[in-house]
Parts: sequence; C-alpha cells; structure tokens
Amino acid sequence: MATTDTQASSAVLTARQLSKRFGGLKAVESVDFTITRHGVTSIIGPNGAGKSTFFNLVNGALLPDSGHVLLEGEDITRLSPSKRLAKGMARSFQITNLFSDLTVLDNLRLACQFLEPRASLLRPLERSRIADARCQELLSEFSLLAYASMRAGALSHGHQRRLEIAMAMATRPSLLLLDEPTQGMSHADTHETAQLIAALGAHTTILLIEHDVDLVMTLSKKIMVMSQGEKLAEGSPDEIKGNPAVQAAYFGEAV
Amino acid sequence: MGGSKMDNAARRAIRITEITLLLSALALFIVGTISGDTFYLRLATEALIFGGLALSVDLLLGIVGLLSLGQALYFGFGAYLSAVVLKEVAPSLALSLLIVALASAALGYLASFIALRSKGVYFALITFGLAQIMAKAVYNTRELGASDGLIGVPVLQLWTPFGPLDTANPGVLFAITLFIIGALYAVLRYLLTTPMGQIWRGVQSNEHRLEFIGVDPRGPKRFAFVIAAIVAAVSGALYPVLRGFVSPELLYFAVSGNAVITVILGGVGTLIGPIVGAVLLTLFKSVVGTFTAHHHIIVGIIFVIVVINAPKGLVGFLVGRLNRKSEGAPHGHD
Repeated sequence: MATTDTQASSAVLTARQLSKRFGGLKAVESVDFTITRHGVTSIIGPNGAGKSTFFNLVNGALLPDSGHVLLEGEDITRLSPSKRLAKGMARSFQITNLFSDLTVLDNLRLACQFLEPRASLLRPLERSRIADARCQELLSEFSLLAYASMRAGALSHGHQRRLEIAMAMATRPSLLLLDEPTQGMSHADTHETAQLIAALGAHTTILLIEHDVDLVMTLSKKIMVMSQGEKLAEGSPDEIKGNPAVQAAYFGEAV
Repeated sequence: MGGSKMDNAARRAIRITEITLLLSALALFIVGTISGDTFYLRLATEALIFGGLALSVDLLLGIVGLLSLGQALYFGFGAYLSAVVLKEVAPSLALSLLIVALASAALGYLASFIALRSKGVYFALITFGLAQIMAKAVYNTRELGASDGLIGVPVLQLWTPFGPLDTANPGVLFAITLFIIGALYAVLRYLLTTPMGQIWRGVQSNEHRLEFIGVDPRGPKRFAFVIAAIVAAVSGALYPVLRGFVSPELLYFAVSGNAVITVILGGVGTLIGPIVGAVLLTLFKSVVGTFTAHHHIIVGIIFVIVVINAPKGLVGFLVGRLNRKSEGAPHGHD
C-alpha cells in the first residue's frame, strides 16, 4: 500500500487536508494525496465526487478553504495559475481552449513565449530562438508539423486536443495536469491520445482526471477514487479494481 | 493546407494595397506639384491624417479586440496641444510632434487605468465617456478658445536640402504627412511581427487562456492602449498644420465614430485597410458633398452595404478574391 508520507522524497505534488465548500456542500473534504515522480496518476469518481474541484484546487483556479498544496515541497496553495506555471505546473483544459483564430504554430509560439526573456517581446519573432526551437520540437513530438500553418479552430477535435497538450508541455513542466483529455473524442482519437499520454508519462509526471475508467486502468500507476468529496481509496489499478468500497460506489453504478 | 493559403492571400492583399496606395500618393504628389493643384493635395493630406486616427482604432479593435469609441480624445488632444505649441512655444513641427507624442503617451497611460478595467461594451462606453468629458472640458475653457477653438496657427518654415520650404505649399505638407503617417504605420506593422503583436492577437482570440501559458495580458494591453493614444495624437498634431485652426468638434463622438466606420469599411485588423478607408471616405464625402449636404445618408447606406456584403472590409474582400483565384474554387469568407 502506498502510504504517502514515506515517499516524500520523490513527491512532485502533495495535497494536505485539502477542503473546499460551496455553501453547505462539501465539494472536497480533508483530502490527502501525493503524486510521485513520472508516470500517470489519476483521479476517478462518479459525477459530483469532487474530482474537478480537487483538480481546480491543485491548479489554482480555486482557492481551498483549508489545507495546503505543495509542489516539489514548496507551498503553492495561494499562487496564481501563471505563478504556478513558473514553478513547473502546466494544465490542459476540459473544454478545448485554444487561440482558435491563430495558426497552430502561433498557438505554440504563444505558449513558448514564456521561455524567452522579457526583452524579446519587442524584437522580431525570428529572434526568439529558444521559443522557435521548442515550437519545432513540439510540432514533431506531437505530429503537428503538417498542420503548423492551419488555423487552430479548423483542426479536428483530436488534433485540437493534441495541440492543447502540446501547449501545456511547452514549458517542460514538472507536473502536467490533464482535465478529461479524451472527452468527446472518437474511439480512434481516444486510443491515439492514450498512447500520447503514456509516452509523455515516461518522462513527465501527469495528473489525469478522466471519466473513461478503462483508459485510466491502462494508463495509471496509481489511482485515487473520490466519492462525495472524500478520498474513498487509492492504490494501483489492481488494488482499485479489487476494492469492495470502490465497486459499491463506482463500478456498481457505472457498469 | 487551407490556413496557409489564407495567410498568404492576406499578406499579398496587404502588400498589393500598400503598393497601390504608395504609387497613388507619389502620382498625386508629382501631378499635383507640377499642375499647381491645391485642392486634391490638401484633401489627400486630410485623408492621411484621419487615416492615422483610424490606424489607432484598428490597433485596438482589429488587433487587440478592444472597441474604442473615444479615440477622438487623443486625436483632439494632439491637435490642440500641437496648435498651442506652434502658436505659443515655437513654430517647429518636430518640437510639436515630440511634445505631443510624450504627452499623449502619459495621457494614454493614465486613461488606460480607467478604460482597461473593463472589456467589451463597457470598455467602449468608458472610452466614449472619457472623450465626452475632454470635449466638454475643452468646450468650456476660454483659454483654449472655448467653442470657437484656436485660430491662427502659423505656417511652418522648413529648412531642407532643396532650400527653405513652408507648409503653406500643399505638396510639401502632403509629403510630410505621408512620411509621418507612413512612419506610424511602419511602427505598427513592425510590432505585429514581434511576440508583443502575437500576444495582442492572443488577447483578441482568447484572453483568458494567456494566463495559463504564463502571459499576463495586462501589460501588453496597456502598451497597445498607449501606442494607440500616441498614433491618434500624432495624427491629430498634423491637423492644425493643415487647417491653421483647431476646434472642439475634433473631440466629438462624430470623429471617433467616423474612425470606427473607416476601419470597418477598409478592413478590420489589416492596418492598411483603415488608411484606404480614410482615403475613400474623405474623397467620397468631398465629392458627394459638392452635390448634396446629406452625404451622411449616402455614407450610411454604403456602410450597411459593405458590412453585409464584405464584412471584412475592402482589404478583406481583396483577400477573398485572391483566395478564389489561387484555389479556383468558390470559397465563402472565413
């Protein structure tokens, strides 16, 4: 069993007693959770279990009522999303959230601008060599080269998702947060995205929120199951499958 | 793919328009100077001045996505300040332009803290309100001539390699104006090739997303607002040199609103479109104005027709034509 505190040395993200209430509703209640380096860690749970709230507490879109979020041992509980990015945390969005009027390359360039010194802002784009080089890497790593000069809004849904993840990876984050990356995707696109996430997981730490239980079971090294705002269980995919409380709360209902 | 062709067509359309405008300007300058024309050279000078104002509206509206209904504030500010400098300090165009550029940057910076608090329609209303305040203030200030404005702005002497020239010569003033508006245009066009320009377009496309890729949009928006103020004010600074006077009407909504119409007619977000729009509108108003005093009705009708049939303006229309030609297949806009 993964008792979280003994692995503190390789902990990328630690949530301590994280709680958030909306009025009377306990959306997230005293959740302790640790994400260790590399690989995919996932959060699943039925609708309304508090996954998204937990995710937003981690990424800074929401502030917790109590508890702490630590990234690489540093308390980031109250940092803004852009400050979190500077600390090495990047995210993708559940609803595709691109600069749809701009080309694929321009989307990536904007995401890579962060790598450039501020002084480059008023120099010609060609002078932003660091960002340029990173864009080219991302285009080939995410197989988007052929679409570089296409408007992001004109891409297929699967490609938009891929671009979304590529943008999140632009700054080489130490922790990548993926919010339902296969939502609304065709079966083929889902399969392709799963491969992409698995490949990224080899050298990146990923926190995945996902409805697709099969996908989570194949991709994850560790899973947290949430129910009614609380952590119901955590462990390897096999442990989760064998957990009677999980089966009652989740699989019983879903299957 | 489709996207790159679209981009190429846009680039070509802009290039073609730039060259056409420049050649027309040179032709007008040569023919006008030789034939001793005054009317058309002065009309074209006025068109360029209002083109500069439209340019500033397009930077905000077409690039950053902010509809300003009060750019006349900076235009009028530049015109009045220039008139005061030329009359009271020294009859030097360079000095007046320098002072106007610095002062309008400061004014734009201050106003940005009020205007950029809000977005969309509220931004439009705040810019409108700020311009109204300035217009009323000037209208009621006796030192600035109140409702009469300031008259008697002197003719400026220029020392050139060709001997002394003065701005009473319409060809000289046209050339100066062409140079200055051209320089403003070149600066904006350059900025669009920088990461700053890209962030501006990012603000228009999806401002909220910028924060998650580590870009705080506030600085770039403020910078655009200040640049737009300078462009409008420097254009306005040329107005008293052309007309010899300034009046409170320069600050009125009609001026701001006309600039927005100019931008939409010419092509939002193209920068060159607003200049074309200004040239065509100024020429049109002058020609039609000799037949009827109701030229606003006709401008209104044309505006409606253009917005329905060519929502991306004249330059956008040209882009569409180039696309159709290169693909040989029918293609709707966008």
